[in-house]
Amino acid sequence: MKAKPTAMLDRRGTLWVITTLVISMLPQLISMPFHLVPITLLPIVWRLLAEFRKWKPMPIVLRILATAVAVAALVITYGGLMGRRAAVSMLVLMLSLKLLETFRIRDARVVTSLSLFLCGTQFLFSQGVPMIIYIIACLLSSLIAFMYLQRCEAFEILDKVPETDRNMLTELGFGAGLMALALPVGLTLFLFFPRWSSPLWGLPEDALDSRSGLSDSMTPGSIQSLFMDDSPAFRAKFEGGMPSNSDLYWRGPVFWDFDGRSWKVSYLSQNLLAENKPDPEKARFRYMVQMEPTEQKWLFALDYPALIPANTKLTIDYQLLASRPVTKLREYVMASDPGFQDSPVLKQTFLRAALELPQGFNPRTAEMMSAWRKEASSDTEIIQRALRYFNQQQFHYTLNPPLLSRHTVDEFLFDTQEGFCEHYASAFTVMMRMAGIPARVVTGYQGGYYSDIGSYVLVRQSDAHAWSEVWVRGSGWTRLDPTAAVAPERVEQGAVESLDQRRYMFDFEWLRNARNTFDLFQRGWNNWVVAFSSDRQSRLFSGLGWDFLSPARLVITMITIILIAGAVVFLLAPLLLKFRSSQKSDPLLRLWKKFIRKLNKAGFVSQPSMTATELAANANGQFKYKGDVIFRIAELYTLCRYSRGSGNQAELAELINRFKPGSMS
Amino acid sequence: MATVTAPPARSSFREIISGRIKKRVLAKRGPLTPPFVLEYRHIFVLPTKFGWGFGVMLVFMALGGLNFNNNMALILVFLLATIAQLTTLIAYRNLSGLKIESISAEPVFCGEEANFRVFVSNGDDRQRFAVQAGFKEAQDCRDFKLNSSDSLLLKLPTLKRGWLDLPSFRLETRFPLGLFKAWSWIFPHTRCLVYPAPARKPPPLPKTGHGQTGLAVKGDGDEIHGLRKYQPGDSIQRIAWRASARHDELYSLEMESPREDACELDWDQLKGGDTETRLSILAAWVIAADHKQLAYSLKLPGTLIAVSKGASHRSRCLESLALYLL
Repeated sequence: MKAKPTAMLDRRGTLWVITTLVISMLPQLISMPFHLVPITLLPIVWRLLAEFRKWKPMPIVLRILATAVAVAALVITYGGLMGRRAAVSMLVLMLSLKLLETFRIRDARVVTSLSLFLCGTQFLFSQGVPMIIYIIACLLSSLIAFMYLQRCEAFEILDKVPETDRNMLTELGFGAGLMALALPVGLTLFLFFPRWSSPLWGLPEDALDSRSGLSDSMTPGSIQSLFMDDSPAFRAKFEGGMPSNSDLYWRGPVFWDFDGRSWKVSYLSQNLLAENKPDPEKARFRYMVQMEPTEQKWLFALDYPALIPANTKLTIDYQLLASRPVTKLREYVMASDPGFQDSPVLKQTFLRAALELPQGFNPRTAEMMSAWRKEASSDTEIIQRALRYFNQQQFHYTLNPPLLSRHTVDEFLFDTQEGFCEHYASAFTVMMRMAGIPARVVTGYQGGYYSDIGSYVLVRQSDAHAWSEVWVRGSGWTRLDPTAAVAPERVEQGAVESLDQRRYMFDFEWLRNARNTFDLFQRGWNNWVVAFSSDRQSRLFSGLGWDFLSPARLVITMITIILIAGAVVFLLAPLLLKFRSSQKSDPLLRLWKKFIRKLNKAGFVSQPSMTATELAANANGQFKYKGDVIFRIAELYTLCRYSRGSGNQAELAELINRFKPGSMS
Repeated sequence: MATVTAPPARSSFREIISGRIKKRVLAKRGPLTPPFVLEYRHIFVLPTKFGWGFGVMLVFMALGGLNFNNNMALILVFLLATIAQLTTLIAYRNLSGLKIESISAEPVFCGEEANFRVFVSNGDDRQRFAVQAGFKEAQDCRDFKLNSSDSLLLKLPTLKRGWLDLPSFRLETRFPLGLFKAWSWIFPHTRCLVYPAPARKPPPLPKTGHGQTGLAVKGDGDEIHGLRKYQPGDSIQRIAWRASARHDELYSLEMESPREDACELDWDQLKGGDTETRLSILAAWVIAADHKQLAYSLKLPGTLIAVSKGASHRSRCLESLALYLL
């Protein structure tokens, strides 16, 4: 039968469709630019009002106008519609606007289905454990919406949906039941569905979204903003010895170019490959890194990386750069040798790059450094003096440094004397360059939380750090951390613990501990679900002894299984169903048939046309049976069959079971 | 026979498919007459339009999930696909086991809608939701509680007098999500009697047999008809006390109304006009006479229905009009 395309929505349906949409757009609402949120919510509010005040659908001109305004707002916000966030924001806005014309069941179904699609797109941004709750909420809500829409559509002809015993709770239970039933099959599909080992299409690089994390430049305040972010950056599980906290310098972007305010990566160092690297055999630390997506190319490793993961290069300043930005969870095996000597000989190009400073900045520092230069006999002396300077002057390691204007280093060193790691690293590097010592800034992460239970190190965004490296003749590039000179506890305890101020209102230690424990689940989830790929799948199969299951064979196997299962179901199901329905339908008839079978075995020929009494008379005549058991059986059967309640079926069953036609008199 | 369905203008894919399924059902099971129980052989399950659309969306989601190896998106897709697959079974179970008890239809006048009542009972210990009945479009919908029965109404327009056969119709359900429909074809052997449409402005009732052919009506009335033995229930006022005193037995008076006018509704009285016009005038007369509580007789070529009145007489007359020359 055709469903009427014009069937109208009822109130319950409308409310559930809106609920589904709102739940599925929640993560996007939280992460989209704030001014887009009211634009997104406005159509929803209008639709709710329309429901309760019985407004008519909006005229098409107004709808087009609203769409145009929304698209304009999007284009202005994102500058074009590239990028996943922009695309999903577009989807959210369009769905929300679709509500303006959603008065019919057909449209409501489109909105609900696309809400599920939207739910799917959200996993491009996060696949964390909290998303499990999100997926369940979306599924349940959409199932209930679909159920109500179906009811509304079915009863459209009657003008009124009849009340049944189904209320909200039973619908919830029904939805949950459906999900529970679907879970085993869904998980089996998840494990066995053939995966692609390489993507058919990738994300265009300009479609990347800005994400919190280290980037290719460092300005005062950039690491400080990371410091507020407790989301995991990566986890490392060490084989054998754990490094001490002061060894946990995770190397990330290395900066050479300074313009007076911000530090930038150098084109040269990004593109020249390391000429030699530590011998992996001699590396002291071996570990496995599970890295959360960053949308950047850097992979993180302890100084100095001895292994190069696939599709990655090791640059001349020992940054690990992936060929494509890391847009999803990535795992790699790494080994590090902290004793490696980095560039004992420095090429002229790099020497010049490591000494270059912009003209006309920080005159006071320049003056001080030339004085130091005159007084010092060696580079090492100047370096020691600088570290002492940070240590002995009244420098504060603080989260809220005062703002700096043009001469950032001057103002920091002589006026404010308050700063975060990036201020120290930047000032120290500038000081060294002014004294003629080649220096550069390295950013990355320092420290991490060691989980006893999972025995891995969890590094959060808030562990982001900046330090300096100076080139000393004979020993090469040497790491120096001026922050450690000011606040040694930063390196020993970690950034968050070394501050006595709270970062934000709900920054409590117990909460951080709870989050650290919770990360165990996140890591397990990452290991078992998020990181599952065609590699893991084939590893799983080989673990099960199914090495022959290559992806292509898997497809063939799967199709074969489906065909066989389908054939079995088609051939067997009717038989099974028939068997069951005949069994279920009439226990009395089964008893009677059993009785007749017993008689037949003994040589009695029964006619289908005989009534029970006739049959009993004939059988009794043939068998000359002692007593009147046969008659009694026939009588009981007749009673049970035709006059409900007066016959005792249990007695009949017993008589028939005990009945032996062989025992004749 | 007067089977009235809209002629298929152009057989679409959907019609071809449903035609084939119908043929298959007929070939496998033969025409089924109520009462019978819906079983696996009767029930077909296919996606609805919405179901197809939803499936296409799932395919796109799966492609995206596979391409980016996004496992949570894949889990979502697999769960949705499994749930959708499960609903086929639920839809099937929503129909299977329902018993079509009987189908009946009251006679109607041509031009009115024929109402076929399909009595369905649910003898199982599970509820059924949103079971629809209809031809091309659903016409009625019901929920069935545990061990309950209810009737579904099917309406057909009537265009001709005579027997109107109820064509094959569908019992269908899209429960629970509307992604799949499960349906059964029912081939009933039920027909509805369609009386000729009564003429709008019929000539006045012919009053031929004044007081002769009409019957006196016994029972209440003003004139005394005679005496009879008292029967329990006779009114005390009606007891003929004098006569009773004479005979040692109670007698009551039997009363009657005066003989009524009776009319002869005769085919031959209607000169001119074609058969259908004549029949519709006769039908209008039957209705008018019945309405005035007159006794009447009906004479058609080859048929004579003697003078009488009352509901069954009316039906008999109208039926012979409806089936005249059919």
